[in-house]
Amino acid sequence: MPCIRFETTDRTTEYPAGESVNVLRMAIRHEVGLPWKCGSGRCGTDRILVKEGADHLDAPRRRERERLGPLLDEGYRLACQTYTSGDLVVTWDPEQKGLDEGSELHAKLKERWLAAPDST
Amino acid sequence: MTDLLNESDFRDALEQAMTGTMAKDASFSRAWATGKLDRKHFVNWAVNHYHYVGAFADCLALIYANTPDSARDAKDFLLQNMYEEELSDDRHTDLLIRFGEVCGATREQIMDRRNAMPYTKGMAGWQYQLSATQHFAVATAAMVVGLESQVPSIYRTQYPVLIDEAGYGFTEHDCEFFDLHITSDEVHGERGYQIVLKYADTPALQQACIIAVREAADMRFNYTKSLYETYVKPDLGEWVEPTATEARVASLV
Repeated sequence: MPCIRFETTDRTTEYPAGESVNVLRMAIRHEVGLPWKCGSGRCGTDRILVKEGADHLDAPRRRERERLGPLLDEGYRLACQTYTSGDLVVTWDPEQKGLDEGSELHAKLKERWLAAPDST
Repeated sequence: MTDLLNESDFRDALEQAMTGTMAKDASFSRAWATGKLDRKHFVNWAVNHYHYVGAFADCLALIYANTPDSARDAKDFLLQNMYEEELSDDRHTDLLIRFGEVCGATREQIMDRRNAMPYTKGMAGWQYQLSATQHFAVATAAMVVGLESQVPSIYRTQYPVLIDEAGYGFTEHDCEFFDLHITSDEVHGERGYQIVLKYADTPALQQACIIAVREAADMRFNYTKSLYETYVKPDLGEWVEPTATEARVASLV
């Protein structure tokens, strides 16, 4: 049976041969500890670095191309947007956040959300 | 009396409950995936699908209200699912309307309930009734496992031919509704399974969930079949699956 190795948390999950499975769905089902938030290719929290098995992956989808941009060429994918039909080894930064969360825009929004009601 | 199933057997039973009535195998889905439909058929689909899925967030809200605070993770999942349907990005029904408009429909035509099939209205009513009256694990089993978790398998066969120039020839932008749901409903479906596996914690609740999933799959299968019977059969006749040779020739044209 083909398997996905989630190297960062030292977990491996198998799935039936001949199937094409969504990487984030497998991560959620087997509780491997991959960070994620929206599950729809918007936030980028679930980005993974593909170490082995890139040939078994579906082509990047539109949202993934728009969200990752040049990171795609560096071997990153979004787990929620990625289907695999063969063996795969992935890793990630356990502390990673969404791709906008360090931005100036995100900081402004956060400041606004957290502001006391009488100070806005 | 049936014993309490372990998690693995219970999941297998839920999956088994949909065997034979997956909507991807219904005549309308097969005609779609094999390139047999016209834009007028997609208009009819968009109208009916709007009135089927338009009820979804409302139904999740009913389930939410029936879920106790002690099941906080289930409540949070339902709320997140509602938020993602309606607010987190483009409203999903707006993406559906975008596709219908590209096919020639107007927003008003799609949103007018009088244009939907009686079966569609009945299915929407069934969703409301079930969501309002059943235990939250049973309702989640029907709405999320039985209906929503099927979506990736349906659209993964229908989306490629939509954006193929030799197929229906739509753009990725026209068809964002489908692409988005292929992936987002993988996550929703899996979280739905987790909620049902965790909170259907008696033999009676487990059996009720299995029955609800079977009923939901049957509803969706027959809704999809009705689309063919109502809108496509007058043009194409009874659905006959293309032979492997026909499919190969069609792919070369």
